Amino acid sequence: MSQQSLILPATGTGPGAGSAAGTAKARRNRRLLELAGAVSIAATYIFLVLTQPADIANGPASFSALVALGGFLLGAVLLIAAALPVLPTSTLVLMPVALVLNVVLGQLMGSTGLPFYFDAIGTVLIAVLAGPAAGAATGALSSIVWSFFNPTVLPFAAGAALIGFLAGLAARGGLFRRFYLAPVAGFVTGILAGVVSAPIAAFVFGGTAGLGTGAVVSAFRAMGDTLLAAITKQALISDPMDKAIVFAIVALLVYALPRRTSFQFPFVRRFRVLAGKGPATPEA
Amino acid sequence: MRAPSTLHPLTSLTAAGCTAVITTAAGTWPLSLAVALAAVVLARRAGAGRRVLGTAAAVLLPLGLSLLLLHGLFFPEGRTVLAAWGPARVTAEGLAFAWEAGTRTGACVLVLLLFSFTVSAPDLVAALAARGLPPQFGFVLASALTLLPAMAGRLERIRAAQESRGLVLRGGVLPRLAAVRLQMVPLVLGLIEESGNRAQALDARGFGAAGPRTSYRQVTDPPAQRRLRTAMLLLTAAAVALRLVASWPGAGPV
Amino acid sequence: MTATEPAAATAASVLAAAAAATSSVLAAAAAAATAPAPAGAVAATGAALAARIGSFSFHGEATPALHGLDLSIRPGILTAVLGGSGSGKTTLGKLLAGWHRPGHSGTLTGSLTLAGEPLTFRGLEDDPRINPSAWSTRVGYVPQDAAAMLSTVRSTVAEELAFGLENRGTPRPDMLRAVAGTAELTGLTALLARDPATLSGGELRRLAMACAVIQNPGVLVLDEPLASLDAAGIIQVRDLINRLTGAGTAVVLLSQSADGLARSAGHWIILDGGTASASGLPRELIRSAELARTGTVLPRVIHTVPAVRASAPEPGAAPVLELEGLGFGYPGTGDAAREPLLRDLGLTVRPGEIVAVTGPNGAGKSTLLRHLNGLLRPHTGEVRVQGRSIAGTPTGRIAASVGLLFQHPRDQLFERTVLREASFGLRRLHGRGAGARAHEALEAVGLSGAAQSHPAELPASQQRLLALATVLARCPAVLALDEPTVGLDRHGLERLDHAVAAAAARGAAVVLVTHDAAYARATAHRVLALDGGRLREG
Repeated sequence: MSQQSLILPATGTGPGAGSAAGTAKARRNRRLLELAGAVSIAATYIFLVLTQPADIANGPASFSALVALGGFLLGAVLLIAAALPVLPTSTLVLMPVALVLNVVLGQLMGSTGLPFYFDAIGTVLIAVLAGPAAGAATGALSSIVWSFFNPTVLPFAAGAALIGFLAGLAARGGLFRRFYLAPVAGFVTGILAGVVSAPIAAFVFGGTAGLGTGAVVSAFRAMGDTLLAAITKQALISDPMDKAIVFAIVALLVYALPRRTSFQFPFVRRFRVLAGKGPATPEA
Repeated sequence: MRAPSTLHPLTSLTAAGCTAVITTAAGTWPLSLAVALAAVVLARRAGAGRRVLGTAAAVLLPLGLSLLLLHGLFFPEGRTVLAAWGPARVTAEGLAFAWEAGTRTGACVLVLLLFSFTVSAPDLVAALAARGLPPQFGFVLASALTLLPAMAGRLERIRAAQESRGLVLRGGVLPRLAAVRLQMVPLVLGLIEESGNRAQALDARGFGAAGPRTSYRQVTDPPAQRRLRTAMLLLTAAAVALRLVASWPGAGPV
Repeated sequence: MTATEPAAATAASVLAAAAAATSSVLAAAAAAATAPAPAGAVAATGAALAARIGSFSFHGEATPALHGLDLSIRPGILTAVLGGSGSGKTTLGKLLAGWHRPGHSGTLTGSLTLAGEPLTFRGLEDDPRINPSAWSTRVGYVPQDAAAMLSTVRSTVAEELAFGLENRGTPRPDMLRAVAGTAELTGLTALLARDPATLSGGELRRLAMACAVIQNPGVLVLDEPLASLDAAGIIQVRDLINRLTGAGTAVVLLSQSADGLARSAGHWIILDGGTASASGLPRELIRSAELARTGTVLPRVIHTVPAVRASAPEPGAAPVLELEGLGFGYPGTGDAAREPLLRDLGLTVRPGEIVAVTGPNGAGKSTLLRHLNGLLRPHTGEVRVQGRSIAGTPTGRIAASVGLLFQHPRDQLFERTVLREASFGLRRLHGRGAGARAHEALEAVGLSGAAQSHPAELPASQQRLLALATVLARCPAVLALDEPTVGLDRHGLERLDHAVAAAAARGAAVVLVTHDAAYARATAHRVLALDGGRLREG
């Protein structure tokens, strides 16, 4: 017990946080947390859809709002708790960067006048470079930090985590090796993320945050849809398109990065995320 | 500018969170309106009135207009029709719904902004770490709050350097998209490269090490505030429980 | 093994073994030290740190960044590693300090021996994995960009200093003592309550050094510790280095300039192309062919004998650049009573003339340059380029006749290859001759061989030269350079001199801003000092 050892115990590709003892148990606990987070989000969604108030003429349903807030936030927090402590420092430092990019690139793209949100560019970029777990944690955490300036993004943390997770899966599956596949992956991600986030908009806010999206919802309402159905349909129109563009932008960006930068990420080397020659050295 | 808050950061966080949840649970517009007004008054007293109101307006105005457009004109559930143009029907129920939803969100946004614009971020991070939250969480929060304000200057530098190389920013979606890409590359590249260096520095400063940590910054937490927090949490739990029991699906009218 | 051990213990043992008198301040930082020195660890070799590097290459790269390099660092001695841009100094420093970890950052074959504990690396899976947190308590590293050392999550200098101790679970009383002691040693005591984001360059450098010193490491690696410091900052940093070596710390200096600090070193290692081409005493190596081959800057040599001196301009020619009655002040920088930054400033530059503007920090040198291409617009007065006022013309258009080179090359570069970078926007200016112009400009700065590289993968010195090439390729009538010498190694300085002289020879007006008075006198036809918002003959 005299001093800290200069070398880490040999645990293969262990996490940077370096927990030597009880790694297997710790890993199982993390899996359980992740599972609990995913179940919480899925169960909340199903519950909300099944019990959605048939009549909203008496005002927005506080009950559904509380359930949506509680269930989705709990899920996001569980996902963060599962992923955060084991992320290596090199991934961790990317999270504030992702958040900053979400905000700044979202604004930059907004200046082009295209009618989309573009607020997930940073999250997707990190997911492509560092993997699904990092992506999910980045998405959820960045929503939480962003809510310091805009509290309305807080309830969407679960949807942001889903986007990061799916982007990471797409990268691992090699969908970023072909340029035309990235927007397809984004499209699919957008469908899922949009459907999951719709109850938040419907029950917590009673509508959408922007005028453009509000107009689309109005159109569906005019045809007699319920609020949740109208917002879900609107999300199915905007979100897949938005995420397809975001994924394409991220693909452009990662290929504009020098190889030395992108290949410094073990995830990129290990799963051959990007097209082109693999790394010269085999990676554990 | 900012008056030093005598509240422990967790006390103000609990107060803001509980107020938001109770307002949501209650779901009556007079309470929402009262909460919103109280938040504005407190913000002014703390010297953060302008920033809180400015930020809140940027968030709430589009949301409010969207709600008004959506529910004010199209509310199929509405029965009391005040006016109608073709498919659009202005109903009393729709306007009430928009008002309810708008005031509720407005109250929550104002209360939470009041918290984030008056809390001392370093104190909050220290307090969270002292409560056993992973230090990684505090890092992401504090680092993002440090990086964000520096970004405007950074983008400005990039734009100036590129214009000096003959980059002309002009209209049209496609040329602007191309210009945005040219600005994004140095920004992203610089941030990622910096973060790589920062990771090495943080590791060298023991950030990745396991084991207990200590804190240089000390935040005083008077016992009275602890009791206050417990009371607020209990009150909130009661409010939520009441709402859940009262409007459990099938339990009767809301 | 436990991570809760007070961090200072290990480093203190190194110092103790070095049998050096530890200053009382350092002892305070090491107050928690209880562990005895590893028996005979240091005494066996006499080296605090020894490295045998067969080769080290980054992941995904075929050519090793370092190869065939043996070195040993002795306690209490300043060791200088000298070499040009891209010679591998930073890679070596980070490798020694555990910032680049074998297996994690790249593949190492060879060994590192720290305090008598040898670690052998064969580039395989089962190689030992360095624990950066423990390693750094014995070997500290301070990067050239001091801001990279900071955690960005602490709001005062004192807390930033304590960050490393907090992470290692140092008890608070020990932490307070260590912070106070280190602050005194590094001259930061008066700044402890300041926000690190508000520090000046010199203060920031000392804070970064203090963050490493607070762990009381036996070895301290400093990467270009004097870069972009003013005279006062240089004195403070040199004084700190003297105190550390006096207390028995082995200090390693990485530098691309054989300046006064490097000359005061006890041992030199000359790095060339990733390997040590020579090592020995400074006075043996200062005139060696090995040193001359590298890009190391020899301050006195370069500035008194400029490689090329442009011939004086013709006095009768019409001026290319005219500033008349220029007045400017930043809005919001205070009260109305404050004087504007530039006041009734006038300047006339003829074709082929090189004008240098010097002045202290904050005098408005960069502000003045930004008026030349319309990035800033004067409140009063007028800027005329080739006889025409630039008022109302967007910067992107003025760029055709005024080329402005900034200090930070990274902000200016955005393309995928060096050639595309140099060719950007040329077609509109030169039509079919664009390709030839780009190649010519790259040739002028010596980057023809790197045409297909990614700009971000070039060493810093070459990135600056590439940014210069992008300006040269446009053949502007006015060339405006902001601190062009900073960060350039000797080869780079020679290229710069040639480029400036060639631009003047074809009739361009050159305005350069520099803090380096010797460079200004050696290069320019006229040296002007910016003082009190006006230019005067210097």
